[in-house]
Formats: sequence, structure tokens, C-alpha cells
Amino acid sequence: MFFEAARLEEIVPGGLKAVEAGGKEIVLCNYEGKIFALNRRCGHTNAPLDMGTLEGYILTCPMHHVQFDITTGEALSVPVPRDPGNEVIPERILKHFQYIAMLMSHIRICEIRSYPVKIDGDSIKVDVEEDSSCV
Amino acid sequence: MNPESRKRALRYLFQKVIDPLGYKFSPDEELVDFLLEQEVKLEQKHGITYCPCQGITKKREDNMKIVCPCIPFHRKHYDAMKRCWCGLYVHKDVTNPDELRQIPFDEIKRG
Repeated sequence: MFFEAARLEEIVPGGLKAVEAGGKEIVLCNYEGKIFALNRRCGHTNAPLDMGTLEGYILTCPMHHVQFDITTGEALSVPVPRDPGNEVIPERILKHFQYIAMLMSHIRICEIRSYPVKIDGDSIKVDVEEDSSCV
Repeated sequence: MNPESRKRALRYLFQKVIDPLGYKFSPDEELVDFLLEQEVKLEQKHGITYCPCQGITKKREDNMKIVCPCIPFHRKHYDAMKRCWCGLYVHKDVTNPDELRQIPFDEIKRG
């Protein structure tokens, strides 16, 4: 069943928009005028993908920079390691970071669910009930 | 993670960086595919697409200068060779990459 999610003029080409449709959190992506709908949450650590960046068909998560193909939801990369910079980090905090890094190394990156989109006039409609090929 | 999808994505992303710098992917498709595959492996190991033809050190500052496409950090060197160190990228006017060779930067500086 298609739910109205947004209006076409709300997302410029290259833009992202978080919406809720049928009780699900969705991110809408405008790739060269074509709209794609994906689960809003990153398949790595659940960060909101609408706060990331869209470069062509590649959506980059704002948290650990894992990349996804918006046309399929496929995960395209691993997380980028944290930049330690030149800052001297106190040992207590360093140990905490190491612990977090150890935990993160066990996180599996999942593909994100993509949803069928229909354009009806200037309205973007998303079918949140039907699963597409991913996940 | 599918290495073929990642290779395609790297090609797409790198193209946007190298084009304004006057470079293109080498016409040697086999070489390009091989080098991108090595970068995908390095990325899976380190999280960063390091140059597959240059050594990673313990110094982060130096390592950042060999993140592909590393052309901006070695501009003078690569412009003189008309290719990057690996040969993944060549000047836009290059049609036969086999004619180009690796030249150590010291040799270029000496003229």
C-alpha cells in the first residue's frame, strides 16, 4: 500500500529528506531527478542517514561513513576508522575508545531496506509494506 | 560486501576528483580493474583506500598522502610522468599508457 511521503519540490536533485510513511522512518533521495526511498537508519549503527551526504547514487552515513547504493540498499563500504589527529589522549579515555573500537569490530554491516516509489502528480508515494530485494 | 559493487562505486567517486585535475582512468582496463581490486582489499583491512603501490608507514601524516586518488599530494611528480605512481590515472591526453614509465621524483628534480 502506497503512503504519501512528501512533495516533489521538497527534495532537490542530490537532496535527502527524512519522512515517516506508514509508521516507518524513511529517507527519500533525489538522484538526478529520480526519487528513491530507503530505511532511514544506517545498516551499521542505526544513525539517521538523512543527515549524511548523497553523491550520485552513493549515500554516506554521517556517523562512520559507511556507504550505501540508494538504488538497491546494498552496503558498499566498511566504516572509516576514527582520526586520532595529533591530540594526546589521556590513557583512561584512550582505553574507552579502544573498548568501543573492539565492540564496533563485531558489528556486521547490513544492507538497508529499499521501498518502491510512485510519483503521483507532484506527490511522492512510498510502498512501505512491500519489501524489495535487499535485507 | 560485493567487491564488484565497491569497485564500481570507487570508480564513480574517484572520477569526480580526477577529472578537474586533468586526469582520467588509464585506458588499460585490465590494469584499472586489478588496481581497484587491491584498493578494495586495502579498504576492507584499513578502512581507507590506500594506494596499492606505495608502502603504509606508522606516520599517519605520510599515510594520508597516499590515499587514492593521491594526485594533489604529488602533483609535480605525476604531471612530469603524465601518470600516477600506479598508472591507475593518466593525463587526459594519453592514449597509450604503455609508453609511460615510473620515474623516481629525485630523477625528475635533477632534470
